[in-house]
Amino acid sequence: MAINVKVLDRPVEQVSYVRATLKGMAQTFKHLVNREKRHQVTIQYPEQKWDLSPRWRGTHRMLTTETGKAKCVACGLCPTVCPANCIKLVPGEDEQGNRYPLVFEIDEFRCIFCGYCQEVCPEEAIHVGRHYENAEYSRDGMVYDLERLMAQTHPVSDLWDPADPKGE
Amino acid sequence: MADVKQVTLTIEGRPVVVPEGTSILEAAKTAGILIPHYCYHPGLPVAGVCRMCLVEVEKFPKLAPACATAVGEGQVVHVHSPKALEARKGVLEFLLINHPLDCPICDQAGECELQDYTFQEGRADSRYLEPKRFNPVEDFGGDVLYVTNRCILCTRCVRFMDKVAQEPVLNVSERGDRATIGIHPEADLGGHAWSGNVIDLCPVGALVSKDFLNKARAWELDRTASVCPNCTQGCNSILETRDDTVVRMRPRANEAVNQYFLCDQGRLDYRWLERRDRAELPYVRAQTARGGTELAATDWDVALREAAALLNGRRARVLASPMLSNEALGLLARVVARTGGTGVFTVRTGDEAPLVGVPDLALRADRAANVIGAELLGFERREIGAVLDGLGADDVLVVADEELAGLAPTLPAGVRVLVVGTTVPTWAAGADVVLPITNMAEEEGTFTNLRGRVQRFLQAKAAHGLARPSWYVLGDLLAAMGDGEGYFTAADAFAALAAAQPSFAGLSYDALGLRGLPVADAERFAAEPALAGAA
Repeated sequence: MAINVKVLDRPVEQVSYVRATLKGMAQTFKHLVNREKRHQVTIQYPEQKWDLSPRWRGTHRMLTTETGKAKCVACGLCPTVCPANCIKLVPGEDEQGNRYPLVFEIDEFRCIFCGYCQEVCPEEAIHVGRHYENAEYSRDGMVYDLERLMAQTHPVSDLWDPADPKGE
Repeated sequence: MADVKQVTLTIEGRPVVVPEGTSILEAAKTAGILIPHYCYHPGLPVAGVCRMCLVEVEKFPKLAPACATAVGEGQVVHVHSPKALEARKGVLEFLLINHPLDCPICDQAGECELQDYTFQEGRADSRYLEPKRFNPVEDFGGDVLYVTNRCILCTRCVRFMDKVAQEPVLNVSERGDRATIGIHPEADLGGHAWSGNVIDLCPVGALVSKDFLNKARAWELDRTASVCPNCTQGCNSILETRDDTVVRMRPRANEAVNQYFLCDQGRLDYRWLERRDRAELPYVRAQTARGGTELAATDWDVALREAAALLNGRRARVLASPMLSNEALGLLARVVARTGGTGVFTVRTGDEAPLVGVPDLALRADRAANVIGAELLGFERREIGAVLDGLGADDVLVVADEELAGLAPTLPAGVRVLVVGTTVPTWAAGADVVLPITNMAEEEGTFTNLRGRVQRFLQAKAAHGLARPSWYVLGDLLAAMGDGEGYFTAADAFAALAAAQPSFAGLSYDALGLRGLPVADAERFAAEPALAGAA
């Protein structure tokens, strides 16, 4: 039995590729001659870098007090809220009887950069950073311990506008 | 009770029938309505100082404290009416005036009633702008640390020490906003065996446990219903674990045994559940290349077969631990009966420390959970030095989780040794077979307390190594000896025990529930009236 193929009789303007090709070439030519800044998409990385949004959420940074200690009090809220279970925290007690993190590790591989840890932190200690250059030679290198989190210097994310925290 | 008049009233639109004299707060509980409260505790006398349980009662001129108001016929109570909510909101705002916002570092966070009720009915912000009162942390001795700033002066701890412990060393010192809980200058809560209960009674983080301080957050813990194994009282407890590690033991309410309390000895002695020097694998004695013998790790089938062969044709002297469950002891009793041997046990003893305000509650002198169970199942109690007396040279010594702490007996030559235990004691290192079992936190079972009450404990954490539950191992051992087919669940093992032992007749896990039931002949364990009166 022969297969019935329905052949549609379309106008030649719709089926010819010549017209579409010319249209595309025209767009390319327009970009070639028009060097206005707003059309430039490619940047010369790493000499040039992106301007990150103030709400960019990158790898973490632990802020410190004036005396150079981590602000963290090991309250356990960030490991609780973390949807990826990437924060390991063991609380301890220092000589003055203050609560502090004995172990604080973030597995940046497992992190999904939701920023909940920064949002939940009552001490404004842990922050997600406005930072994206995180290449490492080993997987272990992506597990940041407390020392490394404190040593980070990149700017931190503003998850909300301090003047208008509820977004009203 | 027919002679007590029943009162009918309406709470939040629900009809409630309770005996006359019940407080509105307790009546509401029976209808499933929780009226917020701080100073009220069912185990303590009513004080009515916190004003948190204010409710609106129709035809009353003003709001009534639910804890201190008895129910009346036909009363209509509104717990969540605007007037009651407004009053409680005010109470909470006053409580929070001087309460520090240190929830992130407070051990009580997550199980704090101030947090809970503020979240439910309190203000979202504070209107208090002045600096908060500050007082340093005080050490009350024992396991108790007093964080003065967090205290809301509910006086539960004061009333516990006054009326229940009957050693009135705490009071409310100073007046007005300077008031704090004070301790007698020469007193130390460590001096009282039950003082740790003030930590559980404290509704906020003012009295905290030094042992548990900064160790875990309340929401990280897994809670398992258990029974305190540290003396024959058998207080109901909750084993709290974090990452498969026991980190805290707390009392579980049971009116018939311990009410709401647990002694310090019980609450702090949980670390042995985490011992690392455990028997992890089944071992049998094997020839070494040099011609000697050593304990070599093997699999369960081989070890059970060897153990059964060892017991075949020899009399068993079972040295049982009174910390084993009824199920395990029942199975060991069957081993004794099959081989025509004897079963003995020994108990570590200490000083008895009663909780004066509660009848028949004490830290008992016998510091093991299942002394009565062992006696009921036919084991003979002996002094620690005499447990091996009469051990024949052809006998098999079955060491069932007993270490004979502080004693290193020399075994008569020729005695074969089978270890069924959580550890291999050094004096039993010459064992022929080792069958590793789980400890009480890792298995399910029952204990019989000194009043003959059989109480269940549940599994709180995973077994160590290849260890198996004691009832499972002993069931398999009996099966290998040709008796029965072993058991799949602890409930099966208990059912077999109930069928075989008249004392346990009629009991089952379903019937026991989590509060336990007395054995059939429990009357003979009843407290002597004179003693009960004194206690």
